[in-house]
Amino acid sequence: MNTHIILTCSGLLVRCRLSAAFLSVVCFLMVTGCQRAEELGPVAEPASVAEIRQAFSSGADALASDGAAIATGTGWATLRGQFVYDGTPPQMKPYDVRGEDRAKCSRAGKAPLQETLLVDPETMGIANVVIFIRDAARVHESAQPNDESIVFDQKECVFLTHVAAMTVGQTLEIKNSDPMGHNTKIEGRKNVFNQSVPANETLVFSPQKEEPVPVSVACSIHPWMAAYFLPRANGYHAVTGADGSFEIANVPAGEVLEFQVWHESVGARDGGPLVLETPEAKSLKWSRKGRFKIRLEENEEKVLNLTVPASALGG
Amino acid sequence: MNYPTLNKLEAFTKLQGLCVLAVVLAAGCDTAEPPAFRLNMVEAVVRETPPEYSQEISDVLGAMFGTPDQPYALAETGLDQAKLDMAAGPAWSDKKGTNFGLYRKHCVHCHGVTGDGRGPTARFLNPYPRDYRPAVYKFKSTLNAARPTDADLHRVLMNGVPGTAMPSFSLLPGSEVEALVEYVKYLSIRGQMESALHMVVYELEEEEVVDENGEPRRDEAGEPLLQRTPLNPATYPEQREEILSYLEELMEGWNTANEQIIVPAEDQIPGDDRLPEEVLASAEAGRKLFYGKADCKKCHGPTALGDGQQTDYDNWNKVHHEFLVEIGRKSESIVKRVGDGELDKAAEQQLINDRVELARWQGVAATLYKPRNAIPRNLRQGIYRGGRRRIDIFHRVFTGIAGTPMPGSGPASPGAKGTLTEAQMWNLVDYVLSLPYEPPSQPLKALPVNVDEVL
Repeated sequence: MNTHIILTCSGLLVRCRLSAAFLSVVCFLMVTGCQRAEELGPVAEPASVAEIRQAFSSGADALASDGAAIATGTGWATLRGQFVYDGTPPQMKPYDVRGEDRAKCSRAGKAPLQETLLVDPETMGIANVVIFIRDAARVHESAQPNDESIVFDQKECVFLTHVAAMTVGQTLEIKNSDPMGHNTKIEGRKNVFNQSVPANETLVFSPQKEEPVPVSVACSIHPWMAAYFLPRANGYHAVTGADGSFEIANVPAGEVLEFQVWHESVGARDGGPLVLETPEAKSLKWSRKGRFKIRLEENEEKVLNLTVPASALGG
Repeated sequence: MNYPTLNKLEAFTKLQGLCVLAVVLAAGCDTAEPPAFRLNMVEAVVRETPPEYSQEISDVLGAMFGTPDQPYALAETGLDQAKLDMAAGPAWSDKKGTNFGLYRKHCVHCHGVTGDGRGPTARFLNPYPRDYRPAVYKFKSTLNAARPTDADLHRVLMNGVPGTAMPSFSLLPGSEVEALVEYVKYLSIRGQMESALHMVVYELEEEEVVDENGEPRRDEAGEPLLQRTPLNPATYPEQREEILSYLEELMEGWNTANEQIIVPAEDQIPGDDRLPEEVLASAEAGRKLFYGKADCKKCHGPTALGDGQQTDYDNWNKVHHEFLVEIGRKSESIVKRVGDGELDKAAEQQLINDRVELARWQGVAATLYKPRNAIPRNLRQGIYRGGRRRIDIFHRVFTGIAGTPMPGSGPASPGAKGTLTEAQMWNLVDYVLSLPYEPPSQPLKALPVNVDEVL
């Protein structure tokens, strides 16, 4: 292709006797190319700009609510359930283990398997689905921030907790059970962390702000290592276990709760909202953003068993 | 890493160039459009923001930040409008010799009009010029997660970035450097706001369609019809509030940068009057840490030539790398489905939609440069991008380099536990500064495995 362009270029030179200066412009244009406007996005329109700027600079019409949910009910309830896979459980590929730590980063001579989508063949439960309340008006004392710490260990170049959900105020004890050094790199919207963890040592990290979705945890020394981390303002979050089950206890009863559901294997990268279109999901008005709303009665113990078709998880 | 999509598209872009040239030759070019801020289209497609919102996002940004010729700063940003006016617009001087349009005179050819690091020369540079929009800066005195201080940005402008195409601007008058610092912050804040607007759009709920009487229209089943809610803070005051709260939050990061400066403990700082033996002993202790607890060798290599772990990416390249890998996945899936043949109606419609989306992604991919791996610094050259003062190296060791794989060894926040003590970090500083002079026979030999990976 390049040779073809050069030929065309010299052809132009002979036929049109272009000056050297002009030719350099031609070549420059060919190298840099031209970009269509739509690929660069539209440019602001002066009329709308003026109108919006006016709105920003004029005094605010004070809005009554600051967006926080308003408590309407009393008492507490429990939501539990299970995410069940509908399809053939996928076979996970091994991690792309490379470098001088190859031997130490393998189990019985084999690279550990990825954990993108773990389905338990017996119960068909999906592990590592994250479910949490987006905005709670009331928080039970058992879900209040506490100072317990959460152990986040790594061994054989695998993060032993694949998805670590926690409450802001808790500390993440980043442990290294390997005989070689790691570094733990968290790239959140609001929490950024990158520190080296020597062999057999433990560091602590205390996130200061909640994240709207789980964010990636990586190790730059062993770039195949992957995990996720979700700090929330309260304890109303759960990560499904190996059998796909979860429980969120003591949620506020008598008011509409909006839950967000997330899984790693949705979307282009770093996971995304789990969107379900099954009849049971439709009855919950499951949204395109992986959210559903539910209202529980006082002391109700609601059980949600949700079938997840393989297609919802990129299968 | 080879990106088939990118290679094909590069050739295609060059052909397009020829076509455009033909048009220019035929039509001539008497008027040029004024330079405009452009959107981050990678973010727009990766976040799956519906294309109808692009114009509205652009308009809101225009309202909040103006244009490259007429910058504008809301009072909430605390930016100095006079400095922005001095840095923005076309380059010119008044009768007194005061210079204007400084950004376009000194910076735009690499960093681009939008501050996206994609000026006309960017493609030819290694490393690529900094994209200011995520507001992540590598060389600063603050903690990894914090914004840089004005003094940090000022220092980069004065010293340049040794070992890269970034020159020093120390010959400019102080007022001009200050104006440029302000303008770089302005471009970063604009970039952060653009990201925030994608969040605002994502959270918009559909609204009901109403008829001329203000009654909701309903479908046959009696359910109200829903339509897209436009992004327009002039007609939706709640959007305006939300946008302003995002702005307030991101400005807090800039306004508290000065509180996040890493100040080394006075009693741990090695004195200027150390004897040569003391410096050597400290460097030797640093050497042990380099190969031991601090584990610098993992990335900088057993030879410290930067030949350790070389397959990771910095944040800026990683976004593009993952974007291109995803395009590969999308087109594979389409090719597979076309090959399978016999699709039902729904699957066929899905295939058409996916092809339209893939075309949009590929259009954006055509504007990208090839992603590059983050190659750890060769510490034997004596070239220090973030500055060669002992405190500069200390800051790099303490908190790592934001946006890159380089981790920190000090506490990530005040009061947290560091990997190394400050005394140990100063030992490492001594060792790193001695590396360019270390006899070449001294280091460990590179292991064969590293040779594989360099090739």
